[in-house]
Amino acid sequence: MSKHKEGHSKSYEKLKSKTTLKEILDVAVSFEKTARDFYTAMIPKVSKNIRYIVEELAEEEQQHYDLFLSLKNDPYVQTQLDERIKTPTENHKFSDYVQLLDLGDNPDDQTILQYALAREDAAMKQYQDLADNAPEGELQDTFRFLAIEEAEHKLELEKKYYEIIHSGGPGN
Amino acid sequence: MKKINYNDKGSILNPLKNLQFYARKPVTEPLGPRDASASYRGFHINDLNKCIGCSSCQKICDNAAITMVEVPSIKEDAAKGLRNLRPAIDYGRCCWCALCVDICPTSAIEMTREYVHTCDGDETDSYFIFPKETGIHGDSFEKGWTKTEDSDLLDRIRRPMGEMLSEARIDNFDEIVDGFTLEMAVQEASRCVDCGLCEDACPAHMHAPNYIRSIYEGNLEQAVEWMYETNPFSHVCGRVCTHICETACSLGHGEGESDPIAIRWLKRFAMDNVSKTKIKQIARKGKARKKSGKSIAVVGAGPAGLTAAFDLVKKGHKVTVYESLPKAGGMTRYGIPNYRLPEDRLDQDIEVIQSVGVDIKYNVKVGTDISMAQLYKDNHAVVMAIGLQMGRSTRIKGSDHKMVVKAVDLLRMIPKGDKVNVPKSAVVIGGGNVAMDIARSMARLQQQKYGEVNITLTALEQLGKTFLADDEEVKESLEEGISILDARGPKQCVIKNNKLVGLETVKVISIFDAQGRFAPKYDEEDLQFHQADMVIEAIGQMSDVSILGEELTEELEWNRGRIQIDENGHTSVEWLWSAGDMVKGPDVINAVADGHRVAKDIDRFLNK
Repeated sequence: MSKHKEGHSKSYEKLKSKTTLKEILDVAVSFEKTARDFYTAMIPKVSKNIRYIVEELAEEEQQHYDLFLSLKNDPYVQTQLDERIKTPTENHKFSDYVQLLDLGDNPDDQTILQYALAREDAAMKQYQDLADNAPEGELQDTFRFLAIEEAEHKLELEKKYYEIIHSGGPGN
Repeated sequence: MKKINYNDKGSILNPLKNLQFYARKPVTEPLGPRDASASYRGFHINDLNKCIGCSSCQKICDNAAITMVEVPSIKEDAAKGLRNLRPAIDYGRCCWCALCVDICPTSAIEMTREYVHTCDGDETDSYFIFPKETGIHGDSFEKGWTKTEDSDLLDRIRRPMGEMLSEARIDNFDEIVDGFTLEMAVQEASRCVDCGLCEDACPAHMHAPNYIRSIYEGNLEQAVEWMYETNPFSHVCGRVCTHICETACSLGHGEGESDPIAIRWLKRFAMDNVSKTKIKQIARKGKARKKSGKSIAVVGAGPAGLTAAFDLVKKGHKVTVYESLPKAGGMTRYGIPNYRLPEDRLDQDIEVIQSVGVDIKYNVKVGTDISMAQLYKDNHAVVMAIGLQMGRSTRIKGSDHKMVVKAVDLLRMIPKGDKVNVPKSAVVIGGGNVAMDIARSMARLQQQKYGEVNITLTALEQLGKTFLADDEEVKESLEEGISILDARGPKQCVIKNNKLVGLETVKVISIFDAQGRFAPKYDEEDLQFHQADMVIEAIGQMSDVSILGEELTEELEWNRGRIQIDENGHTSVEWLWSAGDMVKGPDVINAVADGHRVAKDIDRFLNK
């Protein structure tokens, strides 16, 4: 099993063991922080012509981190979760057909995007599974909300992937 | 007709005839206007939405009664042939001949049955009007003179271009298109109304109306002179240009059947019928006699690089072009098959460019055989124009098998004369023109080797709606026996016992979201297996910017994966410019326009 998949198995077990909304959001916040730090560390390592991809990924994870942190600290969290769960994002599965790869030392733009897609997909499935298995109530709502957030992020990444990989670049 | 004797002065008693009116009662006509006839040529109206501002009405008016005025609220779009000009009419000059109505390509301008207008004192300005859908006085009047098929001054039907039948062309790479005869070319050229929308739309602003007129007048050398003012790749563009000019052509805007002028084929005709010697003389015109003492290195001998080189040599600079492949042309040679663009025509364009003094060094790979730093050291400026020569991979499962290949790699092998592994059956992934090129090339090679064609092309996009390839490519591919399966996404390359056996695809339900961004939806239940000995990927291309080296890559500013340039192609590094496909995306005429832009800016920079 690749390092990537190992990490997700551990995080799934970690989330499954949590029972309160606050605990779940704590773990979710830490996941986003790990991702943000991962991409941030990658920035100086990739070639400058494709560095913008990793910078944008780091920023997107930062935004997710900020969102989950603010939810954790917001007394009206439940209201916001309800609102998001009513309008779930469709999962288009484009990224399902793109293989999971190890990044290597000098990843190209396609490798980075594939990794990011796979990560979002795994996170989304993770939260969906937890939502399906959680009892009705606050916990389930929280997992559903997180799944929707990851699905949206995945959708945006799929669009970016197509623009860069399939058409010769954003200039077209 | 009876001949009139103009010397006849008439009878001496003729003035006495007036006495007959002496005792008659005067008659007063009623003051109110009479109804005009059904086809009366009264005041004009103009449908401002149908009107494209082509100015044909202004040009045909012998009395100079029409002035085109700018209407800022109307959106201009040169590529679509839409100007924000609309006609204004001076009724002090208008003779109501209706030629403006009969020449209008879109039938926007018409005449009403209204004919009465009075003004007092200083109101003579009221005779100068801006016709809209309502008439001169803001009222709606019945239409009078309207263009009919008989009165239409335009010849709306294009002369057909003959091409080789599919059964005759499927086992060879001979050029498909017949080309115009002289008679056909003159007839086609005669359709042009000289509106200039084509020139506006062309990225290189080729003087199409001028060379069309020259062809009509039978002066082909003059036509080629006009072409060489803006495009040293006229043989190439006369065959494979994306002809944005034709999309803009005013005749293409007409209601019903109305074909744009075949500008591309006319260019082909003129270039094919002027000798190489003469073209070289034409190309040399305007070349500076004095050498500037400045030198420029151009990396890449494609349309952008060679156009820049051509312009710069004519300005008196020394230009050396470095090309990594054995011959010049870039994707025009190593991407476009011979049946669309015969190599000898491309060779002619390149020979003309070299004849003005451009030096091309072949089989020299910048980044390996010579560094960018060395190029800068030896020259005053450098142009990067290396195109998009590398193919992208889907990277779906199984795509790393040796029988999964990229279209651009295969297309490059054919003109190089390399031995191509011709599979008995192949599936092409992709729906753009490159996918068509490789499908049709492999079909020919299959026919030559096996006596039959077995090519399937699958694409995410939908035929007739979102499909990327040109309609004529699709039509000709189907004629050649290629099977096109649209709205199918690649899922995996199927390998059994280490052998590639085919491609599995999934049905695409929709591909773009409401904002037009890529967001495909699939029907997971609809899977298909396509047997194939080879899978060919034609999903996209990229530039090999690694030749820049790490230091220069860090020094440069980038814009989402492409070198950042200003409107003149100048990068953030003072001595470096970039042009063509690598910065603007794939298109020959845009590459030519880019080459001009960059050359102009470099010349300005060197003369500072």
